[in-house]
Amino acid sequence: MSTASLYTRRIEVSAGGTKPRKHQDHSLWKENLWRLAIVAALIVAWQFAVNFGWVNAFLMGSPAGIAIEAWRQLQSGQLLSDTWTTLYATIVGFLLGSIGGSAAGLLLWYSRHVARIIDPFVVALNGLPKISLAPMIIIWFGSGMLSKVALAFIATFIVALLSAYQGTHQIDANLVNLMRSLGATKRQIFLKVVVPATLPWIISAFRLNIGFALIAEIGGEFIASDKGLGRSIFVAGNLFNLNAVWVGVLTLMLVAIALYLVVSRIERYLLPWESR
Amino acid sequence: MTLSTQLREIAAIPSGGANVAIALDHVEKHFEDQQGNPIPVIRDITLDIREHEFISIVGPSGCGKSTMFNIIANLLEPSAGSITLRGSHPIRGAHIGYMLQRDLLFPWRTILENVALGLEVVGVPRTRRLAMSREYLERYNLADFADAYPHTLSGGMRQRVALIRTLITDPDVILLDEPFSALDYQTRLVLEEEILSILKSFDKTVVLITHDIGEAIAMSDRVAVMTQRPTSVKRLYEVGLSRRLGSCLKARSDPRYQTLFDQIWADLDIQMGGQAS
Ligand SMILES: Nc1ncnc2c1ncn2[C@@H]1O[C@H](COP(=O)(O)OP(=O)(O)OP(=O)(O)O)[C@@H](O)[C@H]1O
Ligand SMILES: [Mg+2]
Repeated sequence: MSTASLYTRRIEVSAGGTKPRKHQDHSLWKENLWRLAIVAALIVAWQFAVNFGWVNAFLMGSPAGIAIEAWRQLQSGQLLSDTWTTLYATIVGFLLGSIGGSAAGLLLWYSRHVARIIDPFVVALNGLPKISLAPMIIIWFGSGMLSKVALAFIATFIVALLSAYQGTHQIDANLVNLMRSLGATKRQIFLKVVVPATLPWIISAFRLNIGFALIAEIGGEFIASDKGLGRSIFVAGNLFNLNAVWVGVLTLMLVAIALYLVVSRIERYLLPWESR
Repeated sequence: MTLSTQLREIAAIPSGGANVAIALDHVEKHFEDQQGNPIPVIRDITLDIREHEFISIVGPSGCGKSTMFNIIANLLEPSAGSITLRGSHPIRGAHIGYMLQRDLLFPWRTILENVALGLEVVGVPRTRRLAMSREYLERYNLADFADAYPHTLSGGMRQRVALIRTLITDPDVILLDEPFSALDYQTRLVLEEEILSILKSFDKTVVLITHDIGEAIAMSDRVAVMTQRPTSVKRLYEVGLSRRLGSCLKARSDPRYQTLFDQIWADLDIQMGGQAS
């Protein structure tokens, strides 16, 4: 019974993961125009507030200062190399963790027995904030790329495993019965029913894992690193260089959006029956 | 295996004359609740399903009809009794085509791939099975939907596809579990007729579970009325209206239809009264 209750909690997809709906062209245009207007208004208001002295540029940064800092970092190549470092470690850890975790979760379908035995370990690990492992991981793997990949891997593996395993529990038993009535082997049932039926859960874990991988990555960089956006933000923060902090934060935001878009693309490719 | 089953296997053709496709011999089934107490579902079903006949099973909701199918399809083991298929124990998949309650198309497969499922499972090469599936879809005017996903089809069309998927593996016996229950009345009437003519052209043995007494009478050679859970066969009716008259519609307008309807209704009605008291 404990198994069932622990696994019935369906991982919710964050707002960023809602499926893109088709709009008519002109309404989409309008929406984008509004969004642009909001951003522009914010930037202008912020800059004015700084210029008129209503807001302390030293503590808040300013749009102009951010632009200048971004340009400087672009010119020196620092921004690109930091972004690349962070992106690379995040993606490698994310992919290894998400794919490995999903595969492990799927394979647990094969053996209820094994699943029941490892259940408490999975639950304990799932509850643990993975970033608390960072000091240990850094001791083991050093302050370079490897420790960040390992952190992102750990942060994403368990989520993917749980999600895939839950997915295998939600499969319509009748689909399995149908396969059995056709004389299918367990392997055939696994490949033709379990895997495709679980794909939506796997994709939803992928979405969540973008966030988890980035948290692990940035957290790891905060603690010990020689390169990366997290380190850049951390160092700039210590120096009270708010404009540089903003450059790092905004770049991270772009990275996250880009990763979401990629996962959405993968989703549309893997789940063609779900997009109409 | 008991001695009586062995004897039955030797004497594959019973004294009745007509060949028996499936023989259920004192089949019992109980499930277990959380505490491990047995819940009897099938008390005792003894029924010979004849070769090439169309037999319908009607019975109260939840009496154990689907459970009986699951046992025939070898998805469940009976708690007692035996099932013999043409005198031998059924080999799962080889002889029986099972269309489960609700149209169970795989949402991630196109219609063509859904139809090909049974062939895929037994290892027919891809090009061959897809060509065969396309042929079947063409024959039943569904070729236009070959590359569509199931959710884009109407309920009636999905049922047709599910039936084609069942037929394409060329089973000897077809089990249909309430294939029409989710459809509106008009679609049902059309599909009844259509399915009957399809099945006739294949000359299959068909067992149909339905809640619709009229449907059972209009389509079948025989109707078995089941009792409440734990179920058994309460009465068997010889019908054969559509076979003699040529269509379900004609069967429905035959005077014998109403008589049978009232009789079967009475059988079920008494049980409902029994349940209420
Ligand atoms: N695996 C199971 N474990 C325990 N009870 C079960 C199981 N499968 C079925 N039952 C019970 O057995 C009874 C008969 O179920 P079944 O699905 O065979 O009925 P049915 O006649 O097909 O009903 P319906 O007309 O609603 O389709 C029901 O009370 C059901 O709850
Ligand atoms: Mg049923």
